[in-house]
Amino acid sequence: MLLALLISNSVGNILVERYHGVPTEERLHWRSFLVKLGTDNLKGAKNEELFVASHKSVYIVYTVLGDVSVYVVGKDEYDELALAEVIFVITSTIKDVCAKPPTERLFLDKYGKICLCLDEIVWTGILENTDKDRIKRLIRLKPPAEF
Amino acid sequence: MAQPLVKKDDDRDDEAEYSPFLGIEKGAVLQEARVFNDPQLDPRRCSQVITKLLYLLNQGESFTKVEATEVFFAVTKLFQSRDIGLRRMVYLMIKELSPSADEVIIVTSSLMKDMNSKTDMYRANAIRVLCRITDGTLLTQIERYLKQAIVDKNPVVASAALVSGIHLLQTNPEIVKRWSNEVQEAVQSRAALVQFHALALLHQIRQNDRLAVSKLVTSLTRGTVRSPLAQCLLIRYTSQVIRESGSTQTGDRPFYDFLEGCLRHKAEMVIFEAARAITELNGVTSRELTPAITVLQLFLSSSKPVLRFAAVRTLNKVAMTHPMAVTNCNIDMESLISDQNRSIATLAITTLLKTGNESSVDRLMKQITNFMSDIADEFKIVVVEAIRSLCLKFPLKYRSLMNFLSNILREEGGFEYKKAIVDSIVILIRDIPDAKESGLLHLCEFIEDCEFTYLSTQILHFLGIEGPKTSDPSKYIRYIYNRVHLENATVRASAVSTLAKFGALVDSLKPRIFVLLRRCLFDSDDEVRDRATLYINTLGGDGSVVETDKDVKDFLFGSLDLPLANLETSLKTYEPSEEPFDINSVPKEIKSQPLAEKKAPGKKPTGLGAPPAAPVSTVDAYEKLLSSIPEFANFGKLFKSSAPVELTEAETEYSVNAVKHIFDSNVVFQYNCTNTIPDQLLENVTVIVDSSEAEEFAEVLSKPIRSLPYDTPGQTFVAFEKPEGVPAVGKFSNMLKFIVKEVDPTTGETEDDGVEDEYQLEDLEVVAADYMLKVGVSNFRNAWESMGDDFERVDEYGLGPRESLAEAVSAVINLLGMQPCEGTEAVPNNSRSHSCLLSGVYIGNVKVLARISFGVDGPKDVAMKLAVRSEDEGVSDAIHEIVASG
Repeated sequence: MLLALLISNSVGNILVERYHGVPTEERLHWRSFLVKLGTDNLKGAKNEELFVASHKSVYIVYTVLGDVSVYVVGKDEYDELALAEVIFVITSTIKDVCAKPPTERLFLDKYGKICLCLDEIVWTGILENTDKDRIKRLIRLKPPAEF
Repeated sequence: MAQPLVKKDDDRDDEAEYSPFLGIEKGAVLQEARVFNDPQLDPRRCSQVITKLLYLLNQGESFTKVEATEVFFAVTKLFQSRDIGLRRMVYLMIKELSPSADEVIIVTSSLMKDMNSKTDMYRANAIRVLCRITDGTLLTQIERYLKQAIVDKNPVVASAALVSGIHLLQTNPEIVKRWSNEVQEAVQSRAALVQFHALALLHQIRQNDRLAVSKLVTSLTRGTVRSPLAQCLLIRYTSQVIRESGSTQTGDRPFYDFLEGCLRHKAEMVIFEAARAITELNGVTSRELTPAITVLQLFLSSSKPVLRFAAVRTLNKVAMTHPMAVTNCNIDMESLISDQNRSIATLAITTLLKTGNESSVDRLMKQITNFMSDIADEFKIVVVEAIRSLCLKFPLKYRSLMNFLSNILREEGGFEYKKAIVDSIVILIRDIPDAKESGLLHLCEFIEDCEFTYLSTQILHFLGIEGPKTSDPSKYIRYIYNRVHLENATVRASAVSTLAKFGALVDSLKPRIFVLLRRCLFDSDDEVRDRATLYINTLGGDGSVVETDKDVKDFLFGSLDLPLANLETSLKTYEPSEEPFDINSVPKEIKSQPLAEKKAPGKKPTGLGAPPAAPVSTVDAYEKLLSSIPEFANFGKLFKSSAPVELTEAETEYSVNAVKHIFDSNVVFQYNCTNTIPDQLLENVTVIVDSSEAEEFAEVLSKPIRSLPYDTPGQTFVAFEKPEGVPAVGKFSNMLKFIVKEVDPTTGETEDDGVEDEYQLEDLEVVAADYMLKVGVSNFRNAWESMGDDFERVDEYGLGPRESLAEAVSAVINLLGMQPCEGTEAVPNNSRSHSCLLSGVYIGNVKVLARISFGVDGPKDVAMKLAVRSEDEGVSDAIHEIVASG
């Protein structure tokens, strides 16, 4: 299960936050935990350089892309390698939508489109699509190219 | 299609960093949402409003029921628009709003229309939305379409239906289970993701049917799986099948070839999954492990941090059970110590500390030193703990490990970290006698510049106990007396007490100590002056070189013999008057069992107790408790107290455990009782012990608990006499007897009349191991040779068929109750022979050493050769007797 997907700006303000199977009362805790993890480690990190951590049976993979930090949290079959796959899809899609690693402003300008992309990538805790070109078509309700 | 909210102009990206959502306000956005009701829909504007709503929701804003309903109804109007981008937004918005059951009806017809649309993408999205908001009744209506969708040619439609199925399985399992055939077909799909989703769903549908899962795995491992994600799932399901099939005695493990084949897959994800699956196989052999370890080793030097992390995490786990298998990776692991990712570096270090051998310790320590300077305290604590266990494993290496600890003690660090280091040094001093002097000096240097009062006072206290017993106690005095000049009052007072202890124990130092103590008489703090005055008087103020009285030593080193909590309560209730406070008026009975004792098994040794108490071990605590009971005063010195034995099941009305206290000619059972019923008060609680199966024991007294209220533990004791020095054994049956009184839960009042009642407890046994103290030696070989073979007894025993060698070794260790030395209690997996070194002190304070060689004979038969050396011939024989009769 993909437990959480969180995107924040460089100072830790939340831009997108989605949880699946995480009780409401634990969400705030997760949010501050992830943001702290980012502020501790992401400073000076290169774009899309992956960071990884584990906490009990839960894995966390996170990275920075332009002005935004992306965190994904998973457990069971979504271990660090699967999460790396997920975060790769997310970052490449965001780059695609924004045409470059986004500034915060650019990210917010494309907010609606990004939400649609995320909806295609992760749906209620399960990885659904992994190919950015296909996702690009899907959010315009076009069938996949190879079909 | 979604448009940018502000007209986009590339130049503006850099100049204007304000958010397009600046000043966004829920009320205003809800007002804007009225555009959804316009007869002439403006798709661009509607998309913008939906984006704002999504932004609000993603920021954690919540809508009231009325607001959500209003927005939902408005959004449904947008189905009239033919704009594709807007339609996609509408699908997302409905999912986010997750309308209530009575509202869903508004959109179902629109969604069902979309579900049968010719446009594939409408179908896929409509399925996802419908499954999100649907309930059981609606599901039966659309089931037919969903089954069709699962085998749809368009992979997006099929995936949408399959993923929906995974979710619906939680709420409507009986419906989803009917789709097995379609899902089975989808597993064969040529589209990678469809296969992945179908496999996940099919496994969930069949997860309780072992045979079906086994069939599924068998057929798929033979065929081709396109998606690496699906392949990973298959590996997981395969290991589950292997686990459940149990290990086969002969021939190869089923599916091992498949797992091993996956190690050559092109996707790293699959390779890793297979390697991990192999390392986690039950009773994995080194032949099976080797290829997996090889690929993990390659991952260690990967450029991808995720791969390095995954590999080192897995190897760390393997190192716990198969340290030898991981040693090949040590060089790669050492280079990870400098990894930027601290989680990777810490995992690498703790793995190395597990796999390292005695010869590599020094090199390892050098590398860790560089690493320690740039990691956070929480990682450092993990490393310190690993080093402590390493040192206990290789006592001969104490010098370099102790040096390392003292070096990091000097560096910057927070309280928890410093405390972990100090605790480790104290434990090493206690367990490795050779390390004592250097350890004490390190601690002395630390308090020269220690910012934590708590740690300074503890170290001073510890110095007072251990310092005087060293070869040259005078060298510590300088460090202690410096405290009197340089520190705050709390530390100064501790230093005065420590000085006094040196004076009391080391007669030659006494005159000089007096000079120092006299100087403390002019301290600015009352407590420091009081202590100095007190000690000068008790030690005999003339400063001559005389032996200190036993009474004074008892006063300085003995404990108060009073539960501190009781003393505190008595002092609080004492009203200042002409009459001085009488310490004898403090009750000695321990009201509640110390929590530490209950938690003892899981608790880490902390090394130092809270100041000013001594480092109290459980034995000390018991000794204190027993000596406070006058009836036990003439039993002599307590030899051993056992760990608590549970006499009741967990969560029963009354919870009772027992501790066996062994004296030379007596045995005392301490029953710790807890009443877990809030509306009952128990009085006159005793345990009736039937010792008919313990012939050598005769009951001498029983001490009841007068009153046992709810959730306040109490202790009752039963004492027996036994022949002096004889390790008598036997079985005792126990019955809890008491008077029960009702308590009114609202007022807390107790009824006057009670009813007598009984409660059967489990039996308690006194066994040979109860007469053996676990006392380790730091260098077994030296100890063995210096003991000599005068009273050596050697014999061979057959232990019969055993579950495993490890089980046989642990059974013998438990039977003898001795301390395993040099880590010889751990038996490597699959080994056919093992040597175990044990040490202990037998009743009568006789040192015993044992060397046991185990061997597996035939399929499961274990035989052993036991060589015992002790200071007493009779004891060597007794140990053999224990084994022979056990």
